[in-house]
Amino acid sequence: MKAIKKTTDRRKFLLAAGLGTAGVAAAVVARAPKAGAKVAAADAAQPDGYHASAHIRKYYKTTEV
Amino acid sequence: MNAQASVPVLVRRAAAPEDAARADFYALLSRLFHSPPDGALLASLAAAGPIPADGDPELSRAWQALVDASSAMDEDAALDEFEGLFIGTGKAQVSSYAGFYGGAPAIDHPRVRLVNDLARLGLGRPEAVTEPEDHYAGLFDVMRVLAAGGAGRDPAPLAEQRKFYQAHVEPGIAKFFAAVASAPGANYYRRIAAVGAAFAALESESFRLE
Repeated sequence: MKAIKKTTDRRKFLLAAGLGTAGVAAAVVARAPKAGAKVAAADAAQPDGYHASAHIRKYYKTTEV
Repeated sequence: MNAQASVPVLVRRAAAPEDAARADFYALLSRLFHSPPDGALLASLAAAGPIPADGDPELSRAWQALVDASSAMDEDAALDEFEGLFIGTGKAQVSSYAGFYGGAPAIDHPRVRLVNDLARLGLGRPEAVTEPEDHYAGLFDVMRVLAAGGAGRDPAPLAEQRKFYQAHVEPGIAKFFAAVASAPGANYYRRIAAVGAAFAALESESFRLE
């Protein structure tokens, strides 16, 4: 019974904070298909083999004259 | 008699609205700290509605500032800022790794515990991902999966979510967002950090309620 009350409190707290009713981040994620990096749980779109990673691109920039 | 083989139907538990919203915030933060926003994401953010002002005022204000900044940002500027902040040819301005903020002793490095906890949860890096597991983009993605399920999983029990959050996200998250916000090269990412900090404060508080 106590656990149920605490869960209710947590839900109330989050809903009162604006989460769950606004759905604003949901709208962003839904409209931008690539939102959600899926780094841990699914594929991250990284090409195989050599590619210009962000580190490499940054290095190239430092070598520009 | 019907010759068709029966097909098991998997019924998954849907996340409660507030947990689905948490997962969406985690997805967004994960995406924005994994790589800079492209034009489509900036446009989506610029068109996003407000968080009601009678909700959490910090989150509401920070969100509106991010929405406003998104309409003035373009993807080339976002790429430059992201690389300036998080990608260093020598040393990045801001570390994106939880181990940096939580203190990382050589023995029992937080990442060792993290890898063990991920394995226990049945999660891990996809093979193509080379970032260490304690990159915040990865940690936020783990929280997304725990909060709302996905990839064939139900949402994780709250106790499991809280345990992971308090062990791996909470210890350094305020310092990380503060480091982003105060970095000399931060402009657009200052707004993202403010949203992240407000959201993380809510998460920390909500997990303490139970």
